[in-house]
Amino acid sequence: MNIKSIKSEFPIFRQKTPAGTDLIYLDSASSTQKPQSVIDSITEFYSSHYANTGRASYWPATESTRQVEQVRKNVQQFIGAKSETEVVFTSGTTDSINKLANSIFNSDLWKGRQIIVSEMEHHANLVPWQIEAERHGLNLVAIPLLDSGELDLVAYKELLEKPTALVAITAISNVLGTINDVNKICRLAKAVGAITFVDAAQLAPYAGVNVEYLCCDFLSFSGHKLYGPTGIGVLYGKQDLLNQLPPFAFGGGMITEVDIEGSSFRDSPFRHEAGTLNIAGIIGLGAAIDFVEEVGFETIQSHEDELTIDLLNRLADIEGLKILGEQDRRGPLISFTIDGLHPHDLSTYLNESGICVRAGHHCAQPLMKKYQIPASTRVSFGVYNDMNDVEQFIKALKGAYEFFL
Amino acid sequence: MNDRLKSLYQTVILTKAKDKKFVGQLESYTHSITAYNPLCGDKYELQIIVEDDVVKSLKYNGSGCSISKASTTVLCEKLEGCNAQQVLSGIAEFMEIVDSDASRNAEEITKNEELLAFAAAREFPERKSCADLSWKELQKQFNQLFPYHSKE
Repeated sequence: MNIKSIKSEFPIFRQKTPAGTDLIYLDSASSTQKPQSVIDSITEFYSSHYANTGRASYWPATESTRQVEQVRKNVQQFIGAKSETEVVFTSGTTDSINKLANSIFNSDLWKGRQIIVSEMEHHANLVPWQIEAERHGLNLVAIPLLDSGELDLVAYKELLEKPTALVAITAISNVLGTINDVNKICRLAKAVGAITFVDAAQLAPYAGVNVEYLCCDFLSFSGHKLYGPTGIGVLYGKQDLLNQLPPFAFGGGMITEVDIEGSSFRDSPFRHEAGTLNIAGIIGLGAAIDFVEEVGFETIQSHEDELTIDLLNRLADIEGLKILGEQDRRGPLISFTIDGLHPHDLSTYLNESGICVRAGHHCAQPLMKKYQIPASTRVSFGVYNDMNDVEQFIKALKGAYEFFL
Repeated sequence: MNDRLKSLYQTVILTKAKDKKFVGQLESYTHSITAYNPLCGDKYELQIIVEDDVVKSLKYNGSGCSISKASTTVLCEKLEGCNAQQVLSGIAEFMEIVDSDASRNAEEITKNEELLAFAAAREFPERKSCADLSWKELQKQFNQLFPYHSKE
């Protein structure tokens, strides 16, 4: 698949926006557009062999079950897990973290210990841990940010001197773009016996995931940020840990024996997948993984890096514009502020040129407070973006300067 | 520049957003209202002096987009000196102006150009919450400001 012509794989770009322009989509860090192959896989599934998965012994249930378990194997390979039993389907990263936090901290066993997050976490990788800490008497602390937009790993080591139950960290900041040294963070956590969780929502579509390399106990990513459908995500966990954890939810499909007096539960992954799965979502996720693997992460990364570097260079010349973070390693996104031009006014202006950017706090209020800004504008790239998108964006940005300033 | 944008960002709005007349702190005040949109982060603190059932003075501080800022300035301008009944009807009028489901045209509601400028929010539903941010909060807190006034 040629990266130059990859936009044509995404039907949404064939139409004009209500403003009569081409669609210039620069918000992939929020959610990516969908290639035809993903859309077709879902239509095909519903049209040709839809049935619930699980124990039914008739066709098409056998076929849908086979496909779901095939995707589970594909996910296992995609993330480098040891076994497909380490792959639990959830509705997305937020769902994964909520379920995991709730299951790990289901008692006061960890009372008095701490949970370590970082100051750059998305609310999804902060609030669920915060709530469990409050409920069960743990202390939630955050690895501070350096001015560069990188995590202060010296401070992190100091934090680890106190008894630590768990370290939850994002692989790539959804606001700063910072690529964290997850391997190091997890190894340091492991050395003190802490459980590790990695939020790979931004990492997965940019560089793929390898749980062995990242050295984590748990990890999650979302289908919809990986060119797949909404409402599907993956929670990876080490097999023994997943089997020890109390089930995430209770109901059909996850039990071994049920009596009115009590029930017993299956092993992972079924243990944690109560009820009917998002089967079409899983099929779509499978097609999305096929898509990114066909393009290849080397190609994706170098393509998006090229766009990011080009945009960084162009933004550097613009007066009154301040880029958040000056780290060396950056994912495919840039957040910035402009003196006297509010992000929402800018994004409304850009929308009239068919340009989609994100304005706001990006679900990372602690980070915004750290930078003492109420909001910022974020541009993020996906495989379908090209230099023309960057050019149109810069052109419109200059127009906004003239209009507002 | 297209006409849609021009209608949203009329000179009135851009001017009122930069107008510092009501920006700042009152030395003392009877009420403080925080208008906050958690989805976008726009946040203003309105400081108000209510005396003898009349809004004597208002100031605001905080940050947000030019639409929410302009709208908060206009709120202060329009409601300064108003009694409870006038505040109530002023809020109702503004809410109708920005409401895309309202049965009346904005021009039928008011002739005031500064208020009419916000009618463009009808065309930009995603920006309505900017236009009515402070007004909505004031509406919510009305009974705090005028505890003896019945809305009936």
